[in-house]
Amino acid sequence: MIVTPEARGQFEGIALVRWQLFINSLRTMRGRLEMVSRIFIGIWFAIGGLGGAIALGGTSYFFLTRDHAEWIAFLLWPVFLFWQLFPVVATAFTETFDSSNLLRFPLSYPSYFMVRLVYGSLDPATAVGSLWLLGLCIGISAAERRLFFPSALSLLVFAIVNILLARMIFAWIERWLARRRTREIMGVLFLFLIISFQFIGPLMARLGHAQERQFARFAETLLSFERLLPPGLAASVVTQFSRADFLGAASAFAVLCAYGLAFLWLLNLRMRAQYTGENLSETVARAGPSRERVSVRAGWDIPLITGPTAAIFEKESRYLLRSGPMLFTLFMPVIILLIFRLTPSKSGGGSFMNNVPDFAFPIGAGYALLMLTNLVYNNFGADGVGVQVWFVSPVRFGEIVRAKNLVHATVLALELLLVWIAVAYVFQPPSLSYTVATLAAVLFAAPVNFLVGNLLSIYTPKKFDYGTFGRQRAANTTAFASFLVQGAAFGIVALAFLVGRFAGGLWTTTLILLALAAIAFASYSFVLRRIDAIALARRESLITELSRA
Amino acid sequence: MNSLAISTEHLTRSFGQLVAVQDVNLRVASGQFFGFLGPNGAGKSTTIKMLTGLLAPSAGRIEILGLDLDKNPVEVKRQIGVVPEGMALFGRLTGAEYLNFVGRMYGLDRETSAKRTAELLEFMQLADQPKTLVTDYSHGMQKKLALAAAVIHAPKILFLDEPFEGVDAIASGTLKAMLQRMISRGATIFLTSHVLEIIERLCSHVAIIHRGCLVAQGSIEELRAGVEAQSAAPERAGEMSGATASPGEKLTLEEIFLRIVGGTRLVDQELSWLG
Repeated sequence: MIVTPEARGQFEGIALVRWQLFINSLRTMRGRLEMVSRIFIGIWFAIGGLGGAIALGGTSYFFLTRDHAEWIAFLLWPVFLFWQLFPVVATAFTETFDSSNLLRFPLSYPSYFMVRLVYGSLDPATAVGSLWLLGLCIGISAAERRLFFPSALSLLVFAIVNILLARMIFAWIERWLARRRTREIMGVLFLFLIISFQFIGPLMARLGHAQERQFARFAETLLSFERLLPPGLAASVVTQFSRADFLGAASAFAVLCAYGLAFLWLLNLRMRAQYTGENLSETVARAGPSRERVSVRAGWDIPLITGPTAAIFEKESRYLLRSGPMLFTLFMPVIILLIFRLTPSKSGGGSFMNNVPDFAFPIGAGYALLMLTNLVYNNFGADGVGVQVWFVSPVRFGEIVRAKNLVHATVLALELLLVWIAVAYVFQPPSLSYTVATLAAVLFAAPVNFLVGNLLSIYTPKKFDYGTFGRQRAANTTAFASFLVQGAAFGIVALAFLVGRFAGGLWTTTLILLALAAIAFASYSFVLRRIDAIALARRESLITELSRA
Repeated sequence: MNSLAISTEHLTRSFGQLVAVQDVNLRVASGQFFGFLGPNGAGKSTTIKMLTGLLAPSAGRIEILGLDLDKNPVEVKRQIGVVPEGMALFGRLTGAEYLNFVGRMYGLDRETSAKRTAELLEFMQLADQPKTLVTDYSHGMQKKLALAAAVIHAPKILFLDEPFEGVDAIASGTLKAMLQRMISRGATIFLTSHVLEIIERLCSHVAIIHRGCLVAQGSIEELRAGVEAQSAAPERAGEMSGATASPGEKLTLEEIFLRIVGGTRLVDQELSWLG
């Protein structure tokens, strides 16, 4: 590609603007803290990169001096998986680049492609992966000097393949994430994937021994496929060359290059579509005017509560029901119980909860409360810019917060019921004394969480989309405070159970917890009465934070 | 003289060292279609936020329909309708669900809220997308929905910040007719817009804010008379561009505005390289 003076000026302009953005970000305390954390993360990655390079170099040297060149593939696979999976999992460390900003400038397609490729590749995965490959190359060459050229060439192409594949994956994920529906589907699939990983251990432990032969056969089949994939091919170039099978080395190298070209083509498809102004807007098309009179169903009628509270209850419930990922996290306690059920203990006599099933309900209930912190500690996060509605409507803030807490309490009650049924089905029905003691513990812990959650929701709000998964974190202060509150609440509950064990049994525990629940509820009501003043005093920062794009 | 719908006394708001709104004394009579003008960053949005309870003043007092906003926030909010900056919609509700929700927040019973929701959806031509979430609406549709939500409880005062921005000509006409009807029924409308032709066509009274201070207030005729009386520097007339009416012609609101805020440029300041 010939770089014209105009293109060079554009590259320089983009580099300069990114530098200025970085410098300007240091103007704020938040930006400076971000910089400090980046330095720490950078040091961490440098240690990982250099350490990994030395380890991989040493291991490859060991393999080759022991005449096991074919084992190089075992070293290339972790590099490959890290390079591809790390940017997807750890999006916080990855630079995102909004290409739409570039499209208004007279940038040629090759320049646009290069900018996207180069800036997109400036991430820790590329840096660490490249360092590791360099270590491998040094290790191989130190063991057999004649392998320097083939290993350097194959690892260089392997690096390019990795960069192109990572960019290609990212470009396609970006495309799928651009639409709300596909974003939500991907969120749920991602959750399924994470949960599936949790089941691997218990299932392997249960089925592994009985199926050892089948497993070995399966592994053998997998290995034959492995040789046809980029890490296997890159290793094959070195292996075949070391055995003087130059034709085999050249073939493996050619297939590796073909992979690179295929990824380049797929990446090009996305880039070209973006360059030509692809519009992924989900905005609905206008239909013709409706001829029929519209009928709108009246809002929910909930006995014993006021109209505005019922309206807020309905709104919050609809938000939850439309959020796949959030609903999924609410089912996690039941899934965790299943994982516990499937996990055998080291002695082989069943898991901890299989041995002490009485604890299954308290543990499940505690986990249910823990899952609810996403909602409770960031009450207004999902409202986004809509938070202004609360301030312009003629409803006291205390009533709004109480309505939101009512939804959370209802969700918690439903979850407890679900956990109780799951425990009864998976283990055994919880005894009455354990059920009552657990409910008393929840009556204590829930108001404590609501109280602190309400305050943190106002003091450290964070915009949150229930519909998407990942890329969203609570404010650090909120995470830290919720951790402390949960720790303290669980500690107190554990202490109450301990006291009950030594003095009077579970009914003593229940009485202690009910007394604590009364204090917690009084404190919750006390704060709720003052929440109007707190919210009004904090309204500007609350609105500003939640209205951020 | 009508009773006052909105009045402020020494209304001031500072952000650190910056005084965004300074000592503003607004008077808006009941039933007026009131335009609030100012250049970018003059303090329009800050003022409207203070008037609607979204921002606390640093100093001064606000009275809405004779009620002190600071002392009776809930009572005041019950009588006003607002389209806040960014429209403040809940994206994961449908249009009908959102309107229904807002209606009930303003104390309407379930049936009335549902009935008005249906009427408003039809009026705003949003009824053909009953299952679409607000987040999937176009900008114009969201604007219409926000306006519908602001009037569902038949407010006595309506605060509108750039209501016609992003709304198509057909909807814009419908909205103007709706606002005129509200005025004829005694409501007060407080409107900000950068499109001065709209203000001139709709509003009877205007106020101009510049660098945080109220620099003019009154009917458009009063402002015109004031500007004409003050334009006592005929030697400068030829140097000015865009702010002068031809002899015998009335000054437009844009010309009045430019005269008051001094937003004119000398001919020799023009960019010669633009060709």
